[in-house]
Order: sequence, then C-alpha cells, then structure tokens
Amino acid sequence: MSDAAISIRNLHKSFGAVEVLKGISLDAHEGEVVSILGASGSGKSTMLRCINMLETPTSGEIHVSGEAIALKAGRDGVVRPADRHQVDRIRSRVAMVFQNFNLWSHKTVLENVIEAPIHVQGRKRAECVDEAEALLAKVGIADKRDYYPAHLSGGQQQRAAIARALAMHPDVMLFDEPTSALDPELVGEVLRVMQGLAAEGRTMLVVTHEMGFARNVSDRVVFLHQGIIDTQGKPEDVFGETGSERFKKFIAG
Amino acid sequence: MDFPFLADTFLKLCGGIPLTLELSLLSCAIGAVLAICLAAMRLSKIKPLAYLAGAYVFVYRGTPLLVQIFLVYYGLGQFAPLRHSFMWPLLREPFWCAIIALSMNTGAYASEIIRGGILSVPHGQIEAARACGMSRLTQFRRIVMPLAIRQALPAYGTEIILMVKATSLASIITLMEITGVAAEIISETYRVIEVFVIAGALYLVINFVLTRIVQAIEHWLTPYNRSRPALPIAAAVDAGEIV
Repeated sequence: MSDAAISIRNLHKSFGAVEVLKGISLDAHEGEVVSILGASGSGKSTMLRCINMLETPTSGEIHVSGEAIALKAGRDGVVRPADRHQVDRIRSRVAMVFQNFNLWSHKTVLENVIEAPIHVQGRKRAECVDEAEALLAKVGIADKRDYYPAHLSGGQQQRAAIARALAMHPDVMLFDEPTSALDPELVGEVLRVMQGLAAEGRTMLVVTHEMGFARNVSDRVVFLHQGIIDTQGKPEDVFGETGSERFKKFIAG
Repeated sequence: MDFPFLADTFLKLCGGIPLTLELSLLSCAIGAVLAICLAAMRLSKIKPLAYLAGAYVFVYRGTPLLVQIFLVYYGLGQFAPLRHSFMWPLLREPFWCAIIALSMNTGAYASEIIRGGILSVPHGQIEAARACGMSRLTQFRRIVMPLAIRQALPAYGTEIILMVKATSLASIITLMEITGVAAEIISETYRVIEVFVIAGALYLVINFVLTRIVQAIEHWLTPYNRSRPALPIAAAVDAGEIV
C-alpha cells in the first residue's frame, strides 16, 4: 500500500528457540493512531522495536514511508540490516518514546531535546534551541529546560522524552508503554500530551495498557495474542459486542 | 633540628617538582588516549582486537613497572635496527624512556577503569541514542564516553595519584625528579630521615592538590548528582557554586 506510513509484512522474530512473533502483517496509514494491546509476552513491544530495528526481525518485511528496510542473512545465518546508514536514516524519521524515558542523564532537558537534531540531522543550534523551547512549552515543561532528568518527576521526564522525539520532525512516532512506569497520578499528564499529538494528525503506534486511550483516542486497535494478531479494527468494533472472545477475556482481566 | 639544612633540602627538592609533574601529567595524558583505544578494542566485536587488548593489559598489569622501565631504557638499545631508526634520538633519552614506560603502564590500568565506566552506561540511554539514528561513532562520542568518563572519574583519580608516586621510579634511570634529587642529597649527607620525610611531604602536597582538582571536575560534570535542582552552569558560576 503506497500511502502506508508503516507497512509490516509477515514479520517473524525468534529469540533463540522462542518464537515471539509468528507472522505479523500490519499497516499504519498517515495520520492514523494505532493502539497495540496484548498481554505481557504477546510480542507487542518486540513488534514495535522491530520497526526501528532495535530488534532485527528473523524474517519478514518492514516498509517505512514506502522504503523497505534492507535485511540480509550473514554467513552465520543471522539476519542483520544490510545497510547501517539506511537504518540510521530511517530511525531519524521514526521517533521512539520508551517506557523508562531513557533521557540522557548527563544532559539538561533542553540539551536532550536539541541533541539529535544537531548531531544527527545537522541542523543549526540556534534554530534547534528555539524549536526545543516551543516544544517544551507545548508539553508543559518550559520552566524545566535547564533541569537534569534526575530532578524531574516521571511524568515530566516522559513529556521531555516526547519533546525530544518531536524535535526530530518524525514521520511516525512509536510509543512503547509510555505510561507503564509512571505513578498513577502522573499518567494523565502524559496521556493528555499524546492525545494532543493525535489530534494534530500525527501517525502514532502506541503499545499500551491504557484502555481509555485505546478506546477513545486511537483510530484503530490491534490486539496481539501469542505472537499473532488476534483481532484488529475500529475501537468501537473491537471493544464492542462483536469483538473476539479472547479480547473480552483480556480486558476483563 | 637543623633548620638551615631542612630549608636548604626543601628548596633543592622543590627543584625536582617540575620534572615529577611533567612525567606524571604527560604520561597520564598519553596513557589516557591509549586507554580509550584499548578499552574500545577490548569491547569490540572483532575478536582479534579484543584479545590483543586483553593480552596487553594482562602483561602490563602483571609485571612490575620497574622491570618495564628497565626493559625500555636498557633493553631497546640492544636492537641495532632501533638504534639506527628515527626513534633513537627519543629512545636514548631517559626522560622519554620513562614517559614511554609510564604511559604504557597507566594505559593498561586506565583502560580497565574506562572499560568499567563504559559497561556501566545504562543500556536504555544507548538505546535512545540508537533510536534517534545516531551513528555508532556519534553514540560513542556524545553519549557513551561522556557517561563512562563520569562513572570512571573517581577511580581514575586514584590512578593519577598512583602515577605521581610511580614517577619516583624514574630516578633509577638517572632522572632528577623529587626522589632522584633526594637520593643525591642523601648520598652526600647520609641524612636519610630528614630528606625522605620532606620528599614524602612534597608528594603528599602534590597529590592533595590533584585530588581536589579531580573532585572539582567530578562536581562540575555531575550537577545531576547534587540534591538541589540543577542550575545552568553560568548561573552556578555566578552563585559561586563552581570555584
């Protein structure tokens, strides 16, 4: 499909003898918000991490904005990216927000946000600083620009990480359980920022346990079970009466 | 107490300080570059490089520094090709022999300290660097090394102190640093205790200053380890927090 921002075809991934992904095919269109749900161990994070090659698929195809990520099998039979530069280039267009924020601890919030635009995209520092300040204001932590991550709450750190992701002008944003490491009272502030991004029409793939977000914000819900897509569709369908029995059991806990 | 003798000895021994500092700082600087290369080799996925660095560290940590100094100073001259090479003007100088031996020795120890620092960099922060498309070199330069250095600095401070003390061995190959000067005074006066007490005190003072410098660098590099929310560096300087 040509208008797919992300297109995954028959994705398999094994860790040793354990096959975590057993043939996943998924498209995310431009401007679409896709929530990926599933029990722990269902492969949802692994699938997300395959998109920007933090995990290398065992087999299958991944296209980002129509560009296929080239893979090749080495002499030892292990599949690796064929062209590291291509991977770096694609990664710079696919931003990722992590469960544990992963801000660089030796840099201030502002330095975290301008780091990759300057050192990966080669943009001018002054321009990046201006933009970073606007992004920090947008996620509501403009006053924290000179703080170090260690001095912020989890919610503030995650919003800083979202600003860092936005600074790359990404085509697609990947969220890997962005609220799972947060205290319950801090989840809301991060979800509100993500909701704002969804409303702007950004393409987002969100691995989450927040049923409210999946139901109300996303355009499509994908439910993974034991490495395959069990069911997917519009939230009202998946969450509705006609949804799969397995998914009903999953949300019932 | 023979104060005139003590004062005279003190002044003479102070004359050895510049050479002691030159030997320790120059070999620490060269050793640091060597150490980063060795640590990178040791952690590299290219097995021969890793083994080579491992063997180097094994040999240089496992043999006495004095033996290494002797081998460089007396040993290299045994090889005729070396005596006729462009290196000879350097290798025949005891100063450069000491620098070579000390640098290679500290390079081995420091590489282990840096390797520990690199291994302690949180995996998630490296992953974040990969995820935004940084090349391996950029990751290493901008994220891994800065964090590793901060982690390694306390242990590295100890290594610098060990190096300052190790320069006393250079007196054996005729260099007149503090210990060399002290040995000369003793051979003339036989007043071992006074001379060596003053020499020891000078090393103590040098190491005290160096320790404070390393602590200051550590304090400056890790504002996030302080309990108060960090100020921008400039504001911290204005507030007199960085001395």
